[in-house]
Amino acid sequence: MDVKGRNFTRFLERQQAHSEQQDAKAASKQHAKGKLTAWERIDILFDEDTFEEVDAFVTADRSDTGFGKVKQTFGDGVIIGHGLIRGRLTFAYAQDFTVMGGSLGSVHAAKIMKIQDMALKMGAPMIGLIDSGGARIQEGVASLAGYAGIFYRNVQSSGVIPQISVILGPAAGGAVYSPSITDFVFMTDQTSYMFVTGPNVVKEVLNEDVSFNDLGGAGIHSKKSGVAHMVFPDEENTLMGVRQLLAYLPSNNMENSPEMELSPDETADVEEKLRDIVPDDPNKPYDVKDVINLLVDKRSFYEISENYAQNIVVGFGRMDGKVIGIVANQPKVLAGTLDINSSNKGARFIRFCDAFNIPLLILEDVPGFLPGIDQEHNGIIRHGAKMLYAFADSTVPRITVILRKSYGGAYCVMNSKNLGGDFNFAWPTAEIAVMGPEGAVAILYRKDLDASDDAVALKKELAAKYRNEIANPYVAEERGFIDEVIDPAVTRQKLIRAFEALETKHVDNPARKHGNIPL
Amino acid sequence: MKIKSLLIANRGEIAIRIIKTARKMGIRSYVIKTAKEPNAWYLEEADEIIDFSEDYDESIPEFLDIERIIKGAKKRKVDAIHPGYGFLAENPDFARRCEEENIIFVGPSHDAIYRMGHKTIAKELAREHGVPLLGGSPGAVRDAEEARKIANEIGYPVILKAAAGGGGRGMRVVSKEKDIERMFTLATNEASKAFNNPDVFLERFVREPRHIEFQILADKHGNVIHLGERECSVQRKHQKLLEESPSPALSSALRKKMGEAAVNIAKAVNYYSAGTVEFLLDSDNSFSFMEMNTRIQVEHPVTEMVTGIDLIEQMIRIAEGEKLAYTQKDIKLNGWAIEWRINAEDVQSGFSPSLGTIEKISWPEDEHVRVDTGVRDGSVITPYFDSMIAKLIVHAETREKALQQSSMAIRKFWIKGTKTTLAFCRAVLQNTNFRKGNFNTSFLSKELKIHYHAEPDEALLAAFFATYDYAREIQENEEKPLHTENGKIAPWVLKKRLR
Amino acid sequence: MAREAKKKQSTKLIALSTTNKAYEFRKPLEKKIKYQGKEVEIKLHEDPKGFSYIVWKNKKYMLDVIEKKQNRYTIMVNGVWHTFTVETPVSLKRKRYLEQQADASSAVSIEAPMPGKIIDIMVEEGAEVKEGEPIIILEAMKMQNEITSHITGLVKTVAVKKNETVMKDDVLIEIQRG
Repeated sequence: MDVKGRNFTRFLERQQAHSEQQDAKAASKQHAKGKLTAWERIDILFDEDTFEEVDAFVTADRSDTGFGKVKQTFGDGVIIGHGLIRGRLTFAYAQDFTVMGGSLGSVHAAKIMKIQDMALKMGAPMIGLIDSGGARIQEGVASLAGYAGIFYRNVQSSGVIPQISVILGPAAGGAVYSPSITDFVFMTDQTSYMFVTGPNVVKEVLNEDVSFNDLGGAGIHSKKSGVAHMVFPDEENTLMGVRQLLAYLPSNNMENSPEMELSPDETADVEEKLRDIVPDDPNKPYDVKDVINLLVDKRSFYEISENYAQNIVVGFGRMDGKVIGIVANQPKVLAGTLDINSSNKGARFIRFCDAFNIPLLILEDVPGFLPGIDQEHNGIIRHGAKMLYAFADSTVPRITVILRKSYGGAYCVMNSKNLGGDFNFAWPTAEIAVMGPEGAVAILYRKDLDASDDAVALKKELAAKYRNEIANPYVAEERGFIDEVIDPAVTRQKLIRAFEALETKHVDNPARKHGNIPL
Repeated sequence: MKIKSLLIANRGEIAIRIIKTARKMGIRSYVIKTAKEPNAWYLEEADEIIDFSEDYDESIPEFLDIERIIKGAKKRKVDAIHPGYGFLAENPDFARRCEEENIIFVGPSHDAIYRMGHKTIAKELAREHGVPLLGGSPGAVRDAEEARKIANEIGYPVILKAAAGGGGRGMRVVSKEKDIERMFTLATNEASKAFNNPDVFLERFVREPRHIEFQILADKHGNVIHLGERECSVQRKHQKLLEESPSPALSSALRKKMGEAAVNIAKAVNYYSAGTVEFLLDSDNSFSFMEMNTRIQVEHPVTEMVTGIDLIEQMIRIAEGEKLAYTQKDIKLNGWAIEWRINAEDVQSGFSPSLGTIEKISWPEDEHVRVDTGVRDGSVITPYFDSMIAKLIVHAETREKALQQSSMAIRKFWIKGTKTTLAFCRAVLQNTNFRKGNFNTSFLSKELKIHYHAEPDEALLAAFFATYDYAREIQENEEKPLHTENGKIAPWVLKKRLR
Repeated sequence: MAREAKKKQSTKLIALSTTNKAYEFRKPLEKKIKYQGKEVEIKLHEDPKGFSYIVWKNKKYMLDVIEKKQNRYTIMVNGVWHTFTVETPVSLKRKRYLEQQADASSAVSIEAPMPGKIIDIMVEEGAEVKEGEPIIILEAMKMQNEITSHITGLVKTVAVKKNETVMKDDVLIEIQRG
C-alpha cells in the first residue's frame, strides 16, 4: 500500500478528525467543575499505555428522531475498551460528559452492552466510569431500552465477573440501577451524586428544598443509604482505590484471588498485643479493627462501606498473602449489636465473597440484635435472616473466632458450627449463652430475687456465677460447638494453618434453580 | 508508733512517688487495683495489690469507696493509709473512719480537714487570727438574689466559689449584674456534681493577682514551719499548668511576712502533717488568704528540690508521732525549681482531652531533671481519671539556668500516641515576660497570644513527612507483585466450583 | 484503535495545610526538600525506642503520624500537630475550583470538641445567634463546658437532645450564616 496514496490518506484523515474531537475547551469546562475528562480517567485507571479503545468511530443514527436530530459525534459520548490493571485484563467504559452531557442514547448504550458482552466472554472484570446527564430525551424509548439492556447484562454478569461502578459525576433516574446491581460502587466527594428523582422534581411534587449533595451526594450514600461502598476526596484517589480493590479480586468466578508477597517485616509470630485488646469487662468497648489489623498481613486490610452501619466491619485482607473476606462485629458502635443495616451490609458482602471463592473470617463479639419498635416494625426479622441465609448458603471456607460476647440468635447467625462453620475458635474472654448473664439470671431466679432483701447484690452474685459456670466457652468446647479455645496471641498462626487446610474445600448444596433468600 | 505497712489510696504518679519513699524507709506498700486500669504501672511498683476490680459497685468509684478501702486495710492489718491528693485526701469522714479503726491516717486530723475544707469556716479562722482576707459573703450564698445583693455592695467583678472543694470546679467569675443568675446556676450545679455540696460563697475578684502558696510542715507536738513558697500563677480555668519555687515576685521580707501568716493559719486548727496555704498577691504586694489545702499537693516536688527535704517521708514521720527534725531557721531555699505539667490535652483544640494509649514515652536523664510519672510505654489515658502524663521538674542554680534546662528537657521529651501540652510549655518558654518573671494569673488569657509554639521549619518538615508517607504507601500498593493463576487451578477444585 | 497514550503522571505532590499553605515536593521518595533556594537532603532516622526523627540544622525533630485518613494526615512535630491533605497538581486545582463555587450562605456545623453529655441546649431551630454566644452546655471530665457559636446567623438544625451522650466531632448544631 502506498503510504501517500488515497487509502492511507483517508485513514489518517479520519484519525485526525477523531483526535480533534477532544478539544481543550471542553476539557477545561470539565476541569472547572473539579472533574477530569474521560480520557484522563482512563489513563489513571489503567496501567500505562495498555488501553485499547473499541468502537471509537461509532456514531448515532443520522435520522431525525422526531424530537430533533442527535448530534453526530465519534463514539457517541462513551469510550469503551480493554486494558491492563496491575497486569490483568480488565474491561471498562467511561462516559464523556463533554459530549452531549454524557447522555445515553441507543448507540451509546449499544457500545456499553458490547463491552459488557466482551467482559463476560473473556471472564474479566467490568468497570463503569459513570458521568452522565441521564437518558437522551431526543431518542425517547430507545434510550430507556438501552438502559434495560445494560441492566440485563449487569445481572447476567453478577457473580460471574466482578463489576465495579465508579460514579464521577451525575447518575440520575434509571441510570442508578446499573451501579446498584454491580458489586461495588465508588463515589467522589462533592462532584458525584446519585438519586432516582432529582431535587427539581422533589421540589415540584413535595415542595421540599434540597441540594444535589444533600439528596444524593457521596456523603449521603456512604453514610446513610449504604449505596456507595467507597468514597474518596478526589477523582485520582477514587481511581487508585479501584486499582487497589481489584488486587483483592479474582478476574472471574473460576479463579482464585491474586496472591501477594509478604513484606519483609511480616511475621507469623506470636503477637502478644492481641491479648491486650479485648477487655475482661464485657461492657467495655474496644475497636475490632485493632484486632483485624494484627491478624491480617500488615497494612492489607481494605475496608468496604466504612461509614455505613458501623456496628459491623466488612472488608478484604490477606492471610499469608492470600485474600480473605472479613466480617466483624464492632463493639464500639451500638455495642456491636446486629440491626437492619448491618445485616444487609454483612449479607451482601458474604454473598460476594461466596460468588468469587473468597474465604471468610468472622470475628464475633455480639450481644444480640438491636431491640426496639423501629427495628421490629422495619423488619429486623427479615433482614437479620439475610445474613444467616448468606452464611448457610455459602460454600467457601468460613472460620469464626468468638472474641467475647455471643448471645442468643446472634450466636447462630454469626457462622456458628451448625450453620456450617468450618473452624470455630474462641478466645478465653468468650461468653456464649442463650442470653446475657443479667437477663438470664432475672428469669431463672425470679422467685429468689423477688424474695431477697438485697436483690441488686444477689443478682450480681448470680450473674457472676452464671458467667463463670454457663456462659464460658469451655462448655461449648466440651460439646464440640467450639473446636478450640485459643490464646489470642497465636490466633494468626492458627488462622493461616486453618485456611491452608481449607483450600481444597468443596461442598454441594442441593440442586435447584436458586434459593429464596428473604429480601 | 512505727509504721511498717502503708496502703496508698491513690494511683498513677503519686502512688509511685509515695511507694518510692516507703521503700526507702523499709515500709511495705499496698495499692488498689481497679477494673478501669488493670495494667497500670503503679500496681507493679507496690509490694502488694488489693484487688477491687472484681464485682465493683459502679455507683461508687473505687478510690472514693471509704468503707471498702478501710475494710481492705483492716483485713490485711495495714498500719497506715496515705491518701495522696484528690480522691479522699480532703474528706474528713475518711480521716475520721481511719482514726476510729485505729489505722494511722498519714495526713492532718479530721477536724482540721473539715474546718479548712469549708471555705467559710477557714475564712472566719483567718479573720480571728489576723490573717488578711478579701471582702465577700460571710458564708455560703443562699440564692442568686443574695449573691446579687452582696455583689452589688462590694462591687464587680466578683467570683462565686464552691465552698466544699476547689480545683477550678464550681467557680464562676461574674463581671456584670445581668450574668449573676446564670453563673450562680452553673456554679452550684457543678459544685453539686463535683463535691456533693451545692454551697457557693462569693468574694471580691481580684483581677490579675499572682497565686502564691506556702508549704507547711507541722508535727503532732505543736511545731509548725513553712518551707517557702510556690509560684502557681500560670493557670487555665483555675487549673495549674506549671509551678516554680521560689517566686520571682517575693522579696525575703515579703516571704517572711507571708510565711508567718501561713504558719498562723495552720496553728489556728492545730494542724499537723503537710499542708499548703494559698494566697492571692496583688500588684501592690498586698496579699490575702484564699484557702488551705490539707493534703500533699501535685506540685510538691519543686519544694523538695529547693529545700532538699522529702515531704512524703516527713508526712510519714509526723504520722508516726516524731517531732519535726527542722526549725524555721534550718529551712533554706537553694537554687530554682520549675515544674512543667505534661497532660494528655490537645492545646491546639483548646486543651480538650486527648485520650488514648501512650505508645512510647522517653525523656532525658539529666542531673537537673526529675520526672514524676505514672505512665510508661503502653499506658492508657482513660476518661475515668485525670489526663496527667508526667511532671517534668527542672532544678538549677538560677532561674535563668532553670529556664534553659527546661527548654532542653522539653525538647527531648518525646511522646508518641497522644497529643500533649508540651507545645504549650514551649510557648511559655518563648514568652519574654515569663522569662523576666513578669506574669500573674492573667498570663494565659491575656499575655500568651498563642498557646503553642512551633518553629517555622517544623511545618515544612511535617508537610514533607506526610507527603513522603503518602508517596511510599502508593508505591507499596502499586509495586508489590501480584501472582495470579491465569487459569491454572487444581482440577478437583475447578470441578465442583460451580453448582 | 490505540491512541497516543498520555505521558506518565509526574511524581510531584503537594501538602496543603489547613491554613491553605501549599508545600511542593517534586520527588518526595528521593527525600529532598527545596529550602531557601537549595535542594537539601532529608535523613529519616529511627531511634532504638522506635521514634522517627529528622536531623535538621543539627537538632533532632521527632515526627509522628497521629492520624491518617485517605489523603488527610495529621503529623506531630515536637509536640505541635499540623494537618495536611496530600494533593496532586490536578487534585489541588480541583480543590481550588470547588472552593470558588462553595456557597457563601452555607451552613456551618458546630461539633463537639470532646466526648460528653449534653446538659443544656440554649437555642432552638430558627433562633438568632451571635458569634461567641453560648449555645450548648456539654459536661465532660467532670466539668461543665460552654460551647459557643463561631458565627452570627440563624440556627438551622439542633442535632442533639438534652441528656444525650456525644462523641468528639459529633455535629451538635448547624447555623446558617447571615
